[in-house]
Amino acid sequence: MLEATLNFKLLEMCSKCGACFDICPSCMHIPGYDPREVIKDILNGRHERWLDSGHIWECLECHQCLEMCYQHYGFENAMTSMRMLASKKGIYPAQVKRGWEMFVKTSRLGEPALPARKKLGLPEPKASGVDEFRKLYELLKQSREGGGSPTEAD
Amino acid sequence: MKEFAVFWGCTIQTRFPFIEKSTRTVLDAFKLPYRDIDGFTCCPEKSLVNNVDRGAFVVTAARNVSLVDELGYDLVSPCTGCVSNLATVRSELNANPGEKAHVNSFLKEIGREFTGEAGLRHLVPFFHDAVGISRIKQKIKKDFSGMRVAIHYGCHMIRPSHALKNDDPLNPKKFDNLIRALGAESLEFNTKLMCCGQGLDRIDRHENALHFARIKLKELKSMGADALILCCPSCFLQFDNNQFLMEKEGEKFGVPVIYFTELLGLALGYSPEELGMTSHRVDCGPFVKKWEAVTTALSRGVDMEEGLRAPVVIG
Ligand code: SF4
Ligand code: SF4
Repeated sequence: MLEATLNFKLLEMCSKCGACFDICPSCMHIPGYDPREVIKDILNGRHERWLDSGHIWECLECHQCLEMCYQHYGFENAMTSMRMLASKKGIYPAQVKRGWEMFVKTSRLGEPALPARKKLGLPEPKASGVDEFRKLYELLKQSREGGGSPTEAD
Repeated sequence: MKEFAVFWGCTIQTRFPFIEKSTRTVLDAFKLPYRDIDGFTCCPEKSLVNNVDRGAFVVTAARNVSLVDELGYDLVSPCTGCVSNLATVRSELNANPGEKAHVNSFLKEIGREFTGEAGLRHLVPFFHDAVGISRIKQKIKKDFSGMRVAIHYGCHMIRPSHALKNDDPLNPKKFDNLIRALGAESLEFNTKLMCCGQGLDRIDRHENALHFARIKLKELKSMGADALILCCPSCFLQFDNNQFLMEKEGEKFGVPVIYFTELLGLALGYSPEELGMTSHRVDCGPFVKKWEAVTTALSRGVDMEEGLRAPVVIG
């Protein structure tokens, strides 16, 4: 739970279909981006070779493939799983790393622009939920270390 | 109408406070029951947080939704990404009681509970469905007749549809309906539903991001679109900022990028300055000037028609 899993049955069907290659914006406009290749390798047990490829990050999560897919599955599931695996190994674009660190530290991806707000006559921004967020994230980490409650529900 | 909290999200408050300005302006103009509440965090941004830590993505979104659940409010956001991310988690938890209970076992420790009851809506479908075209039309002071604009929906306004359930994900209509209600012509074009590509800038692929922006801007330029209308801060960043960067390098498109709330605000009679439109990188001046010229020409046209109906002409 709260982890990524891939449905290999759907993926198998997907590898025989390939239809959404023609509507995927990254397939159309980024040379070398081809989830069909990634899916083939996942099914052949050779997914490792993609972990340090920049291509797995070029899926825009636009959900076109998901919406078009007769299985309501989509290329994106395979691409997301690859990114998750790569992240676990610490392989990600520098900006993703920076964004993630800022998120974990502050609970946001940036702080409200105060001088500009004043100039525009906007009210004081509301307080963020950073303290609660930090507690929540700690709980999540503890549960993974198996040390703490709450425990897995199933 | 049910009270609703506005979820501003990180990008608008950090980079584009003028979008908050025009949004508040139009919400006030319609006297809508919106609230600012304490305690929101990043939605969180799926393509970033979910990739690194799926659990953190789910519990953070669930916590944000629990704030409005507890207050009995709905949630409305002028950011497509925020709504899409929150709705994605809500639909997943509502469909999986086991996972929902698991997430709630964490939230309980911080005194929260996710029930998943609050309505989560993006501003465009919200204006379409909850405010309504007729109420909008009644308030228009000056419409956009004669203006030809291109709409960019933004992927996450409409997708994933199983979570958002607010329009046809592959042939959406609501944004078009609103723009037409404001009197403008909504152009049909090949790249209308193409992803903006801003995500590429977030993975250190700036050249690819520019390439994506260029494809749509080129088409709009060749059609002579008066403006690109959108309602997502990421898409805004892509088409306003990146267009500006390309123009600095000598590639001229000249397509003003206008937020939905700004266009609506103009129609309601607010000035570009009052709506914060002077903060855009790509000048909106040409759009406003043409609008003034077209409106003047059209009002002359009305005179002419009256002239035609006059007894001298008919009789
Ligand atoms: S979600 Fe990713 S794989 Fe699917 S169509 Fe969009 S860019 Fe392509
Ligand atoms: S994601 Fe669906 S539509 Fe696309 S290739 Fe796979 S099975 Fe076919």
